[in-house]
Amino acid sequence: MSTTQTDVDKRDSDKSFRKLLGENPRPAAVWLGVLALLLALEIGRVFAGIDTLFAVIGFVVDLFAATPAAIGGNVAGTLGPAAGAVATVVFGFALAFAVSIPVSEYVPDATVDVLGLELSRRGHRWAKRVELASALVAVAALIAYTPVGGAFSAAIAAITGSVDALSSALPSLTSRELISNTGHRTPDGGWDDTFLGLSPAVAWAIRTGLVFAYATALLAWVWRGYETYRTHYRGADWTPTDDTVRRFRSNYWGLFGFAIVFIFVVLALWAPAVSPVEAEHNIYEPNANGFEYLDENGEVQEVNHVFANLDSRSDGQNTVGLLSYDDYDRWAPLGTTNRGQDMMTHLSYGARTSLTIGMTAIGLGAFVAVVLSLLSAYYKGITDIATVMTSDTIQAVPALLLIMLVSVVFQEADHPIAQPLDGGLLLALIFAFTLWPGMWRAIRGPSLQVSEQEWVDAAKSYGQTPLRTMQKHMAPYIAGYILIYASLLIGGVIISTAALTFLGLGINPPTPEWGRLIDGGRTYVATSSWHVATVPGIAIVLVVVAFNALGDAIRDAIDPEADVDEAEAATAGGGA
Amino acid sequence: MSRWEYFVKRLLLTVPVLFLVLSFLFVMLRMGPIDPVAAILGPQATGGDAQAIRERLGLDEPLWQQYVDFITSFLTFDFGQSWVVQAGRPIIEIVVGAAPATLWLGFWAILLPLFIGIPLGFYAGLNPNSLGDYTASFGGILWQALPNFWLSVLALATLRQTRNGGGPFGFDWYAFGPDFLSRDISITGTPDFDWFSTMDLLFFPVPYVSDWTALAIDVKLILPPALILGSASMAAELRIGRTAMLETVNANFVETARAKGLTSRVIVWKHIFRNALIPLLPVITSEAFLLIGGSVIVEQIFNINGLGRIFFQSVTQGDLPMAGALLFIFTLIILFLNILQDFLYTIIDPRVGYDQ
Repeated sequence: MSTTQTDVDKRDSDKSFRKLLGENPRPAAVWLGVLALLLALEIGRVFAGIDTLFAVIGFVVDLFAATPAAIGGNVAGTLGPAAGAVATVVFGFALAFAVSIPVSEYVPDATVDVLGLELSRRGHRWAKRVELASALVAVAALIAYTPVGGAFSAAIAAITGSVDALSSALPSLTSRELISNTGHRTPDGGWDDTFLGLSPAVAWAIRTGLVFAYATALLAWVWRGYETYRTHYRGADWTPTDDTVRRFRSNYWGLFGFAIVFIFVVLALWAPAVSPVEAEHNIYEPNANGFEYLDENGEVQEVNHVFANLDSRSDGQNTVGLLSYDDYDRWAPLGTTNRGQDMMTHLSYGARTSLTIGMTAIGLGAFVAVVLSLLSAYYKGITDIATVMTSDTIQAVPALLLIMLVSVVFQEADHPIAQPLDGGLLLALIFAFTLWPGMWRAIRGPSLQVSEQEWVDAAKSYGQTPLRTMQKHMAPYIAGYILIYASLLIGGVIISTAALTFLGLGINPPTPEWGRLIDGGRTYVATSSWHVATVPGIAIVLVVVAFNALGDAIRDAIDPEADVDEAEAATAGGGA
Repeated sequence: MSRWEYFVKRLLLTVPVLFLVLSFLFVMLRMGPIDPVAAILGPQATGGDAQAIRERLGLDEPLWQQYVDFITSFLTFDFGQSWVVQAGRPIIEIVVGAAPATLWLGFWAILLPLFIGIPLGFYAGLNPNSLGDYTASFGGILWQALPNFWLSVLALATLRQTRNGGGPFGFDWYAFGPDFLSRDISITGTPDFDWFSTMDLLFFPVPYVSDWTALAIDVKLILPPALILGSASMAAELRIGRTAMLETVNANFVETARAKGLTSRVIVWKHIFRNALIPLLPVITSEAFLLIGGSVIVEQIFNINGLGRIFFQSVTQGDLPMAGALLFIFTLIILFLNILQDFLYTIIDPRVGYDQ
């Protein structure tokens, strides 16, 4: 497993990346210029993405900031207010200390020398961390308990507010304002308010086509960037990654998987552009939003989405099927749901939900697994045994049932963590909690092997800190394994999420989720409204097959001899 | 370390695991965000009733006392009474009543994939890169990705469609085998085990089948959900069976056997088949894992009053002691199966060691 070695130690090769870039900046400049042009075409969406990112960061920071006080409150409830205050401070400091460990390496040594203490190298390191943690706590206390906090949050609000304003003001190539498919018929048979007077179906097709063309162009350009880097700016002529890429490119089954996954991701990222009606109008607030249509008497009328949806239900009696218009001339490429909402909108926003949950769960789980595997392989002994015991415990409980129980416990209590995505974040966290033991077990062998290598000993004796040793000399060798497992497990997460929502447990309405669509259509499978349960089901199967194919292909590409336990990965769905 | 030492070590490791699971349940149920009094009486409950419940559940005792009580009661299978689902009934009674349906479902869900998945996988492995191999492998990949809940919905709709000869070629699931229409029973529901009787033979109760038609009805009831529940494991067995077969066929000892002039029948059955079964063992035991998770979904859709459905009801209705008890029982089953798997491995494959 010497795959990610590529970028390792470019410094050791004859010429560094920076030097090569200085000597021959032209290809990089051309590439960056075209990339900027591509991004400028969709600048509105780029800012919308940054806006979302800010919201996520804000939420995470808020959550962490609230934990010390929450834990203190819990302790105060049982042991009295003084103990509560102590618990708040202790936990807050512990949190700050945990944050300071990876950061402290980048803080100059001078900060400790100021203290004027005689310290060993190790003591020096710890002193630096304690100092950093104290500084963090001081800043946090300043923000939380003094007027500085008001100014600080005002500044943050100003920044996010301006990004928010920019995201709605800036244009996008694929925006629905530019290529509009919402309009109404005119009495003479044409269309009003739509793009170039085309029918909504054609306008929607053009917009969707444009989205996929743009996404493909972006992907091709990113690939081009890698090739540019390889030919002009990489010190080495050949690295093992070249072989990995070559093997992957000749694996057609894997490429098929990649293509489907690509479509799925584009669907999720460009959900607002791909959906024929605005989700905000059609799904979230149908009461507050109306549109115009041409009624039977040849007059243009205004109607609320909520009434129009009532008449457009696909519930066995009425059906708005695939590739058809409903009675209000709204184009429904995949028909409507049993509640009259647009299926394509549900599908694309549902893809967003699934992707968010899948990535969060797998990302967090993989992070925990990698950190613990490095720690347990480096320190062995008690760390290893404790991790074995914890992971055995989690694996002994049936995952799907545990997820059901925990998600209900938190949702019943209306815990703040159950708010984002109507329970989606909670679900992702529980998935991460149940998935890391499997991933940890899978990479435990490789990490133990790496920790026995001479170069790790060499790094230790050279005075390298444990953190650095793990980061630079161990982590790259297990990265490939974790990548394989992540792609094999994500399909299971998607299936389980859909299954829980199908049962009414996972994600609550109105957040769109594929499982709820299947639940809505389950009684109409044998009627004319068969599409309600079938379309999302096929989507799930396709995406899961694609992720499995991708995982297999990555495994074969990284290391054809890799011994990856398929049975382990197969249990990911937990029988859902 | 010898293999038996390894086995004993694994056995000892289950004790702390059991305690950790119990502690986790305690934290979740007693210290978690849900207030037990509110769960029983509703959120507005105050005053005497609430105090009575608090006393009955022992919520006023110190936390360590609650913890000790919790652990001892769970370890002695004294789970107390259900709060909501079947309020007031002892949980252990409800569990014993629901277990047969789930066992019946699980039995068929393990048996069917075994007799479909493994032969298909071995066939594919013996004829690699043939049309049959591609079909089987592709089928396995697809089968593994099919969500159980979606399959169940589709299967039920299709079976309902065949009523009165509405299926292809006039197929009628209702009339197939024991007739359901004339008996006026639904194609979904809980098997009633009317066929199961015991007779005393030398003072020992010996089970026997008293009513073959009732048995056929129960089998027919359970067949579609069992096939769906076993689908993922079937696919896993197929894929791993294929790989195992391919690896064994190319092993040196097979070449030796061929060189000795053994007939291909002996080679396949005696040398290849047995060795290819070894990697399948963990798949079969991990099936239990899938079955327990999947049983909740399949039982819910197919209206089977088994453990999975009761778990689902207790979770959705906030019956925490029942959900906790069921989770604990399922965990016990899984721990037992893990030990069984290690034991079987120790016997079958002497190569397993702690060093791996």
